[in-house]
Amino acid sequence: MKIVVAMRQIADLVEELEVDASGADIDREFVKFVSNEWDEAALEEALCLKEAHGGEVVVVGVDDVDFDQTLFGALAKGADRAVKLDCGFEGWMPTAVRAEILARWLREESFDLVLTGVQAADDLDGQLAGVLGARLGLPHAAVVVGLEPDGSGFKVTQELGGGVTLTSHATGPLVLGIQAARQAPRYVPISRIRQAMSAGGIEVVEVEAPSARAPKVTRLFAPEAKGRAEMLGDKPSEVAARIVELIRAKGVSVS
Amino acid sequence: MLLAVVETRKIFGGTTHLERVFFYLLALVVLVVFFAGLGLRVKKYMAGRPLDASRFRRARVPLEKPGVSAPVPLTQTGVDIAANRTVSRRNHAVGGAHLLLFWGFLGLLAATIIVGLDYDVYGNLTRIFGGKELSFFKGWFYLGYNAIFDTAGLAAIVGAVWLAVRRIRDTKSSVALDYTRAQKPRSGYSRAAMTAGDHLFIFGLILILFTGILLQGLRIDAAGFPSFERWTWLGYLVGSGFGALGLHGSAAGTAHFWLWWVHILMALAFVAYLPFSKALHMISAPANLAVRDPGNTRRLPSPPSGHAGYQDFADFTSKELLGFDACTKCGRCHSVCPARTGGAPLSPRDLILDLRQYADRKRGIPMVLDWEERPDQSGPKNLEGRLAGEVIEPATLWSCTTCMACVEICPVGIEHVPTIVSLRRSLVDAGEMDPTLQAALENIATQGNSFGKSSRMRARWTKGLDIPIPDARKEEVEYLWFLGDFASFDERLQEISRTLARVLTANGISFGILYEDERNAGNDVRRAGEEGLFEMLVEKNMEAFSKASFKKIFTTDPHSFNTLRNEYPAYGLDKPVMHYSELLASLISEGRVSLAGLDKKVTYHDPCYLGRYNRIFDAPRSVITSAGCELVEMPRNRTNSFCCGAGGGRIWMDDSVLAERPSANRIREAAELDVGYFVVACPKDYAMFSDAVKSTGNEDRMKVVDIVELFAEASGELALAGAASEEAPES
Ligand code: SF4
Ligand code: SF4
Repeated sequence: MKIVVAMRQIADLVEELEVDASGADIDREFVKFVSNEWDEAALEEALCLKEAHGGEVVVVGVDDVDFDQTLFGALAKGADRAVKLDCGFEGWMPTAVRAEILARWLREESFDLVLTGVQAADDLDGQLAGVLGARLGLPHAAVVVGLEPDGSGFKVTQELGGGVTLTSHATGPLVLGIQAARQAPRYVPISRIRQAMSAGGIEVVEVEAPSARAPKVTRLFAPEAKGRAEMLGDKPSEVAARIVELIRAKGVSVS
Repeated sequence: MLLAVVETRKIFGGTTHLERVFFYLLALVVLVVFFAGLGLRVKKYMAGRPLDASRFRRARVPLEKPGVSAPVPLTQTGVDIAANRTVSRRNHAVGGAHLLLFWGFLGLLAATIIVGLDYDVYGNLTRIFGGKELSFFKGWFYLGYNAIFDTAGLAAIVGAVWLAVRRIRDTKSSVALDYTRAQKPRSGYSRAAMTAGDHLFIFGLILILFTGILLQGLRIDAAGFPSFERWTWLGYLVGSGFGALGLHGSAAGTAHFWLWWVHILMALAFVAYLPFSKALHMISAPANLAVRDPGNTRRLPSPPSGHAGYQDFADFTSKELLGFDACTKCGRCHSVCPARTGGAPLSPRDLILDLRQYADRKRGIPMVLDWEERPDQSGPKNLEGRLAGEVIEPATLWSCTTCMACVEICPVGIEHVPTIVSLRRSLVDAGEMDPTLQAALENIATQGNSFGKSSRMRARWTKGLDIPIPDARKEEVEYLWFLGDFASFDERLQEISRTLARVLTANGISFGILYEDERNAGNDVRRAGEEGLFEMLVEKNMEAFSKASFKKIFTTDPHSFNTLRNEYPAYGLDKPVMHYSELLASLISEGRVSLAGLDKKVTYHDPCYLGRYNRIFDAPRSVITSAGCELVEMPRNRTNSFCCGAGGGRIWMDDSVLAERPSANRIREAAELDVGYFVVACPKDYAMFSDAVKSTGNEDRMKVVDIVELFAEASGELALAGAASEEAPES
């Protein structure tokens, strides 16, 4: 089984993010970039599948700030190959463009699964798996929380919300947006990352930046405080009375 | 005919030639068994990694203290052994009894060797080469010999009986002597053999000693009490006893004959038994004391080459393997261990015993009544399993706070902490750890602090200060202040950091900080077993140091203090490292500040990494007493201080499994003293004990304060204690 894991960097959310002068992007100058946590889940799932059923794990992504760190981390955890698609792009990349770059590379590769994080902090709609599947003409699914080889295909479990899950059978190759792996992403000791770094092993592929049709960000801004929160005090009886009052006033549907 | 009286006695108890042959054959077999047993052990040690010879030629840094951060000089080890100093520490009664037995036994050993030299060597040599068997075992030599060695015999008996009585009487009541495991194997276990072995050892020894004295008595009785035998005072006394009981002449001779054989057979059996039992500690304990290096715990050794951590038998050093064999199961480490006390599945004693049993089984060395039985092949019986993870459970290894209380008190010089960390390294390498620890390590790896805050926020705490703190990377300062994560990021401690900054500024100390370039120093990262991350942090901090200009470093955090002072020099740090308590104490001793009497009744908690690790006991105390406080010591103080439970990475792990948190145990101890303040000199202590004061319901009775808060309040120019809270604008 050959599993491709598409990974990417995002701005570290512990940093204080600021909007840059253009007003359409965050200020990337002093921000630290780290790997997207859902992509880490996708990698973990891929590594678990490999450990259970054998195969190969290839990590791929569009080059970005400190992306090497993420790739070395993946190699140290047990990925077999790490590929960096370099198109000289800087700043925020629309998901459609990212999907196009990945698709062009993937068309040249053979694989059974493409796993990626279900979403990223700057792609909360979780478009990547869907768009990539469409570009490659392959079946895709998002919010995947379970994945097992099943006969000639895969048994895929998705979380639908409200505690409902959906399990379906699909024949690969598949493109899946991973919500959670079967276990929390493993710890990789620094010494192993350093070993991976000294061994090198990142394949760099020069690609052209495609001009895919993509939405354009017109304005980026911090949520505006609307002052709608009301503190209800700290006396339980008064708080309870106020809640009842609010429910009466605003109405509530009981189904 | 008048016979000249020659003061001597017959050596050999038997009479016939056959008996003689039998005795020597038996003695030969026993010696072969003895040396074969020792040989097996020595071969086991040789199979370990060689002792790091550099300890004998390491260049001494002036700060190194012998017995603390540098190896103990052999002369001191000699004195320690001769005076049984490590045995009598904190338990003079047992130490005294052991000292009597130790010297008594050595005396009797010397007596036996002298007789052997006379009878078997000198006698035979003179017979073969001179034609006539001679002996020096007569005359004044004989008299002195008996007088001295009878005394040794008595000492040995008194010591042994004392220890035996204690062993029987206290086994149930003393935590140290109770062999119940801290970590309970699922399959169950039995340590009955160990208990039986202990009894066999001590009662066997007593029997041998007693029969020896009885023999003297019977011999003198049978000989009709020659007057020169009065020198053999104990034998003479016992012989008189036999006489009074009506045992005389040939009857006494017959009794002597049989008892001699009983005594000799037991003694020979003891010699053969020695290398396979608890008795081995007579050899292994002094040997281990001679090679001990307490610096190993303060400055952890690097992993074996090729392995991230200990994975199999061959990863242990010869010294560790010798140490395992030296353990006497005395249980002192077991009783002081905060993990064990709190109900965690770790007892340093059990750990050592498990590793010893594992090593012996691996090498096929049999033990006589000295190991634990289990119905299955788990733990130390699991010879194929993973050393860290199966032979020793992960929960056991993770429970250690690296407080060093075990290393401090172990009478035979075992260093548990480096072994525990070496085993943890294998767990870390396999990624096996608490999720909270994993998160902390990941935060430290990406942000350089365990709080998961952006490294740029590190100096946020300075925002509440009127005078900015100099940036040591931009201007020259005398002291570089290394805060550590808690003093930088924990809100409760940020206020204390500001207080310290104000105090130092007001007293004209030239100091600066590294701002966002400071990283977690890595003391606890290293002790959690993440060696690679530790090295990365050292590199980052060393890089930051190289950008700054300063003469000395002082730290807030005793943990950072330990690694900067003891471990960073190996990576090139060549500046003196101090703790802020020392800096405050020096302000007082140099008369640069005068403190007004505070009139508070306080107790003080020695942080493990300040006290036990680095022997700084007096500096914080001098701040407390100079501030006019009445210092009431807790029963466990100084080297016997009780860990708060935060060290070795425990602060990043889940404590809820513990029956009682070590910090709560400590607060209960302080609550007995009727003091209003619990004084600390460590940011982690402040956090841990503030919580513990609440959780134990002592909030109204006791307040946790830092020494610098006392200092600030007592220094007249700065009425800070009250002002502190008003002045603290939330950043
Ligand atoms: S260092 Fe402290 S916690 Fe660890 S085993 Fe020793 S006594 Fe127990
Ligand atoms: S390790 Fe040391 S302190 Fe602990 S039981 Fe053994 S001899 Fe005693």
